[in-house]
Parts: sequence; structure tokens; C-alpha cells
Amino acid sequence: MTFGSYMGRRVLRLEDARLLTGRAPFVDDVDLPGMLHVAFLRSDDAHGLLRSIDASAARHRPGVLAVYTASDLGDYWRPGPLLVPPPPVPGLVFHAATQVPLVRDKVRHCGEPLAMVVAESRYVAEDALEDIVVDVEPLPAVADLEAALLPDAPLVHDQFGTNLAAQVHQRKGDYASAKAAAALVVSRRFHYDRGAAAAIENRGVVASWDARAGELTVWDTTQAPIPIRNGLASMLGLGESHVRVIAPFIGGGFGPKIMMFYPEEVLVPWAAMRLGRPLKWIEDRRENFYATTQERGQIHDAELAMSQDGRILGVRDSFLHDTGAYDPYGLTVPINSQCTLLGPYVVPHYDSEFRAVFTNRPIVTPVRGAGRQHGVFVMERLLDIAARELGIDRVEIRRRNYIQPDAFPYDHEILFQDFRPLVYDSGNYPAALEKAALMIGYEDFVREEQPRLRREGRHVGIGLVSYIEGTGIGPYEGARVTVEPSGMVRVATGVGTQGQGHFTTFAQLVAEQLGVDVASVQVTTGDTRDFNWGTGTFASRGAVVAGSACHAAALKVRAKVLALAAPLLGAQEGDLELRGGRVAVRGSPERGLGLGELARKANPLRGAVTPGTEPGLEATCYFGPDRGNAASGVHAMRVEVDPETAEVKITRYVVVHDCGTVINPMVVEAQVQGGVAHGIGNAFYEQLIFDDNGQLMNASFMDYLLPTALDVPTVELAHIETPSPLNPLGVKGVGEAGAIPTGAAFAQAVEDALAGTGVEITEIPLSPSRLHQLMVRARGGAR
Amino acid sequence: MIVEGTHFFPGPREVVWTLLLDPDVLAKTMPGTASIVRVSDDRYEGTMAMGIGPITAAVFDVVITMTDRAEPEHYTMQIEGRGKFGFTRGKAAVTLAPDGAGTSMGYQADLVVGGKIAAVGQRLLDSVSKLMLRQGLDAMTRELEHRLAGGAA
Repeated sequence: MTFGSYMGRRVLRLEDARLLTGRAPFVDDVDLPGMLHVAFLRSDDAHGLLRSIDASAARHRPGVLAVYTASDLGDYWRPGPLLVPPPPVPGLVFHAATQVPLVRDKVRHCGEPLAMVVAESRYVAEDALEDIVVDVEPLPAVADLEAALLPDAPLVHDQFGTNLAAQVHQRKGDYASAKAAAALVVSRRFHYDRGAAAAIENRGVVASWDARAGELTVWDTTQAPIPIRNGLASMLGLGESHVRVIAPFIGGGFGPKIMMFYPEEVLVPWAAMRLGRPLKWIEDRRENFYATTQERGQIHDAELAMSQDGRILGVRDSFLHDTGAYDPYGLTVPINSQCTLLGPYVVPHYDSEFRAVFTNRPIVTPVRGAGRQHGVFVMERLLDIAARELGIDRVEIRRRNYIQPDAFPYDHEILFQDFRPLVYDSGNYPAALEKAALMIGYEDFVREEQPRLRREGRHVGIGLVSYIEGTGIGPYEGARVTVEPSGMVRVATGVGTQGQGHFTTFAQLVAEQLGVDVASVQVTTGDTRDFNWGTGTFASRGAVVAGSACHAAALKVRAKVLALAAPLLGAQEGDLELRGGRVAVRGSPERGLGLGELARKANPLRGAVTPGTEPGLEATCYFGPDRGNAASGVHAMRVEVDPETAEVKITRYVVVHDCGTVINPMVVEAQVQGGVAHGIGNAFYEQLIFDDNGQLMNASFMDYLLPTALDVPTVELAHIETPSPLNPLGVKGVGEAGAIPTGAAFAQAVEDALAGTGVEITEIPLSPSRLHQLMVRARGGAR
Repeated sequence: MIVEGTHFFPGPREVVWTLLLDPDVLAKTMPGTASIVRVSDDRYEGTMAMGIGPITAAVFDVVITMTDRAEPEHYTMQIEGRGKFGFTRGKAAVTLAPDGAGTSMGYQADLVVGGKIAAVGQRLLDSVSKLMLRQGLDAMTRELEHRLAGGAA
């Protein structure tokens, strides 16, 4: 392998051998001598006053070592931190209410933890839960977003006197003037409902306290091991260096695992220290439906003002956002919705206001897409309806409204979730559109295939939508690159890994600069002993932020190699090259040294390290982007709808994606394919159904449907590369891309398949039975 | 969950009334009732078990309070059930009207179901509740016929 040979290559994932042969460690694999097991008693009620809780019988059950309720926590009981404060938007209202470790006085959602049992086995711990006697005086639940804001609504948090969690109004231009000038105003109400992230691995925490060393070790399925370490150190009164948090391999994160601090994360380490025994808690699937955060309930009342020739004059949107019982993640999700609505389009006038609402439902924090879905759905649906009303083709109306490739940087004049102005760095939206239309055969389908199949009585449709994904936000990540005497290169970074392929892409970035075989680069992620500065894995930022840090550290090591090797080889630095794990004079490979040998020379046992240099071939670098960058793409799908059963079959799915410079196309394609599967789940399968009392009625995979491999087509994918000027690699994020526009594309395609029947889709998720209802209603039948 | 309907008892209203409020009859006829005791005029306490889908034996401690009783025409019950699989609570109203030689019973219950049983048994909750109620009413009808035929309680 030579220098310059890894960027953009389809390198096979280095971590897969371990994962596929069961040698990759997960939290539940941790098994320590003397380890005890933890189970949590969770509220059956969604809303109620906790009158009393009696754990005495549970404490006496054989095998039980401890039972803790809120009153046993003393000073350790405190609400969690507000993770993201509200952005500086004028006139903003924000009421912060963060989750508590155990309910002390009031239950605010089903599944909220009431007590913690520690026992010799999980079996005994679960039995002991049944011994605990809880008296909750039920209160009427806040279960409806609109009713929650009525004056007589029950209150989730009494201290605010309202269920309003936040209100944010952002404006650009003057929408009223746009509306006055419009030839067409499209106005609709849109619903997007809640789903679970449904990672294959639930959450888990193992904690071990070494009293002699004064060191706490915690294995956690978190996406943010370093902030967890820092927070635990502060809460437990330990030095940060005395807490080690390990986020080993994790079976999917998707956002909820960036949430901090879950009650279990706070309590398991605390109890391990008190009891002096290692503790393990592994979330079961039913717990996951309540205890892990969720997303996506919003109701939008949106309006689009168009000119006669199909140009956007302005958009107005007013929406309600369900934040659940607490709002520890601030306004990230609804602000993403607000910003992402603008998409790749020129929107001269924009007026967007949202109200976040407390409800007696599990907490809402980002889940893959993090509010972007809603914005894309609303905007794309409005454009589809406008296209129909104006008699303009759906592809054409998008073409007419794109921000043009020469218009970057493009300022949308509102604030993004990173509190920076929403400025797009680069993109080429028309190219992505034309490519996607060509790949899916849009013209042929609309002109020839669809009319022919319709004549045969078949309901086939096509959908094609655009989206922007703001990715790669700050604050920063870091990486350390070390060449070991064996020639092996070690890379350590702080982000956790949940299946993204970090072990491969980061290795590629480093191998690229050091001219070593990518397989000789060993990456460590998510262990605070190996790297302890950073924030975590979220917002599609691993490749952008941690990747850029790896790149910078590799460049610095490369510079050290050249500086050290040049005098040893009697050559100028500019005449040297790094390839095949060696540094040698260009054109004279025999005049060279192995990097391992050089690493030994860089760490001498005699002599001296000269002033201004450092021992070893090692460097640590950090990267913090000025602001997030704008990845983008077009999704197109073909569907066929069975008019009798309302079953929908997706027959083709095309994605043209731009995440800037591609490090490894295969990793990008896998991210998009997985995201599309997630998006298809959101669109047609997955929905958390709560009743009027805040009870979740489908908390199992018997009733909560996930798409299977049979439901998800293989995505046909093409890349457009408009490198980001905001980082040295030119990369943008891709982690959430696949999941964001799927609902919008699905709605358009299904509506197209049912064209002429009067079905208009303004809600996601759909299901065969819901779609059937819409079809019956459109025919004038009963709802 | 709303459970409502009517049921015809082939016997006089006063006898039906007595049967419906007799804890021993309730224990014998209502499926899953392990025990039921009348602790005061207006209060019954008991234990019931039901199987719903993946939950094979959800045991509830049940308290029934009569809130509005007008013999032999109607009564209203406040129902509170709690167990490790969740809870149910709500109100049920029963009316009895003469219907030829028999009695027509009307019932309407509005129950909130929560916890595990709601979360994983939702699909089956309605049909299981209705099935159990029908079995109970049928058993009670047989008990009524048995009594009218001169059998002991």
C-alpha cells in the first residue's frame, strides 16, 4: 500500500471479523467476580402522586442485598443536567425540567423508575420488585398535544403553571408580503407520530469500584463515554482520572444512547461504590419501550405561498412538538425541524414558530434524524400539492426552486441547533436531482410505464424528494496517533462506536498519511483511559469531527517521521516518501527505515531529546468545526399499492447522496441502506401507540412492527461529491441521511399510486389499515 | 376500555339481584376469581387471575366499591385492581329491568388498564375481557336456573 491510496477506497471493514465471530465485547459480556444484578421497579401509571412506597418485604427476600427508593439516595438525588441550553433566539421561552433518578413525589410517565433492587441474580431482583408496595394516586394524564395547552389541562410540571416547555419564533423576511403576492397558497395540517429507536442492543451499565485504588470503572452502552465519565466523577466526588468509562462495541445507538444521564447510569455506579461489589444492569426489551428516549411526535400547520410559475415565495409553519415528560435535550429536535424545512430551496420569506409541549409520555431526545424528518416531510408535501395544483411536474417544481451550485455559502438567515447561523457550505442539488431522476427512470415511468400499468388496473407510483441534513457540528473531538516499535499504528479517539465502521474509516485516514497497511492501524474508541477529551457520537459528526482530528494527528506524526528520518537517511524531508510502512528516499527504496525502527530511535535510552522535539512518533490533535455543514441528497422510490388490502410494496429505491469527500463508499452505502430501513420503518411500520391515559399499548415486538429484510429493498446508490470547505478532509456526515426523507418519498409515491382516488397523505407513519381508512374516506365512505 | 352489553336472565329481577351481589356466587361463576369477600355492605375484596396473550397468570387484588345502589334496579361499582402485571380501574354500571318472565341486564364498564398487561396484552384485552364476562354471565345464568329449579346455592 502506498501513500494516497486509501481515500475513497472500498476497504473491507476491519472490525467485522471480530463482530461476526462473536469476539467483539459488549456490555453484557462483562462478567466480574462477585457481581450483583440490578432491576428497576417502574411506574405502571403515566401520571400520579407517589403517596408511599414500602420496600421492606423486598429487602427481606433472600438474595436481595439492597433496595433503594428516592428517600434512600439522600443528597445524591438530583435531577439530571440540562444537556443543551436554549439558543439565543430573541423572545424565546424555555422551561427546563430534567429527569430524576428515582421518582420522589410525582410520576410523570409510564416506566419512570420508582425503586432499584440489587440482588444475587437478576431473577431474584425481578422477584423482589413484586414485593414492593407502591401507592400512587392517579392523576389525569396529559396525552394530547393540543389539549395539553388548554387552560384546564392537568399539568406535568406544576411549577410552570403550563405544559408549554418552549416557544421559539424564527423569521426571515416578511411572510405576509409573500402571501399577498402569491398566485397559490397551499395550507395543510401535517402529523408525524412517535416511534422507538429499537436498537438491536438495549442499554446496559456495569460498574466496578476498586476501593484500594479508589477507581471506578463503568461499562456503559453510551454514545458519550467522556461526558459520562466527567459527570460521574463530579456527582460521586471522584477525580476525573479516577473514573474510567468504557463504551465497548454497541449494537446500535441511533441517538437515545447520547442521552445523559439516564437514571440507571447514575444509580448503578453509586450503588456499586456503596456495596463494594460490581453491579450489572441490562435493560430488557419491554423496559426499553419506556426507559429509553423516543422521538417524532409533531403537528404542523403549514402554508406555502407560490408564484404562478412554481417559485416559492414564502413558507409559514406553526408546530407543536411533543417533548415527553422532561426536556433534558433542550430544543435540538424542534430546531432541527424548523431549520431542515427550508431544505435545498430558496425560500425568500420564512416564518416558523413552534411550541414544545410536556406530555405524560417517555422523554423525547434525538433519534436518527432528530426532527429533520418533520421539516422535510412538511416542505416536500407542500411542494407536491403545489405542483399538482399548478399543473407542474414534481421534479420540475423542485428544479425551479433549488439553491444553485454557485450560490454557496448560502445563508438562510436563521439559527441552527449549534447556535450558529444556518449557512450551507457547499452542494449541487440540481445534479443530484437529475441523477436520481435518471437512475429511477422518472421520465419513462411517468410517460409510459405508469399509464400502461394503470390501464391494466395496477396502482403504481413514484416519489422523488430532496433534503438537507445539517451534520458535523462542534464542539470538537480529538485523536492520538502513535507508531509503536512493532510498526503497528495505534489510534485512539473519544467518540463511541455503535456499528458505524469507525475502526475502518479512521484507520484509512491515518494509513493514508503514514503510508502503512490499513490493517496495521488499530483504532480504539470509547474508552476514557485511552482518550479522555471529546463529546461523543451524535449529529452525524464522527467522520467530520473525529475523522478530521485523526487526520490532523496523522499529519503531525508524518511530519515527525520526516523530521527524524531526514538526517538519519542523509536526505531532505522533501525527498522522502512514506510507503509500505517505511520512510525512504524517493526513487531509492533501499535508503529507508521501517516506521517501527524509527519509533525506537525516537525514544532513545541514551542521549537526549533535543529542545523543541518530543519523544516517540506520537501526536494528539483536536478539531472543532466553525459550524455544521450541509450534506444533501435525493431519494426516489417506486411503489405498488394493492387497492384491496392497502399493502404497499416498494419496488425500487434510489438514493443520490452528497456527503462531501467519501472516505469509504461501502461504509457510506451501508449507513444509507440502514437509514433507509429505519425510514421505511417510520413510514409504514413503526408507531408507538399511547392511549388517553398515557399507557403505551404496544410495548413489545409482537405489536410494535419493525420492517424486516423482506420489506426493505436494496438501495441503488450514487454519490455526488461537493467537498465541505469547513474541514480539511472535505467530508460531511452521513449517519442519519438515509432515515430523513423516507417518509416524504413514501407519502409522495403512495399518493401518486393512488392518483385520481382523492387520497392525500398528510401523516406519517402510515400502515396498511390506516391507508385503507384513507382510501375508504376518499371514496366518500365512513371513516 | 369500554365493555358494554345486555344479558337476559331467565328469572325474576329480585333473584338476579341477589345472585349478582352474592360473593360466593361471584367467586363460583366469574372466571379467574380465586376469592371474593364482602367486607362491608358496599365493599368487596378479592383476587382474580387472567391470562392474556404472553401473560399467562396476571393476578390482581381487586377492590369493588358500590357507589350507587337502588335495589333491584341498578347499581354502580368502582373497580380497582392492582397486581404485578399492572392495574385496572374504572366504573361499571348495571341496570336490571323486568323482561317478560325474566330479567334484562344492561351493563356498561369504562375501565382504564395500565402497566404490563396494557403494554403487551392490548391486542387481546378486549376479546379476552368480553370472553370472560360472557363465560361469567353464562355460568351465572346456569346458577340461576339451578336455583329456580330448587337447587341450593
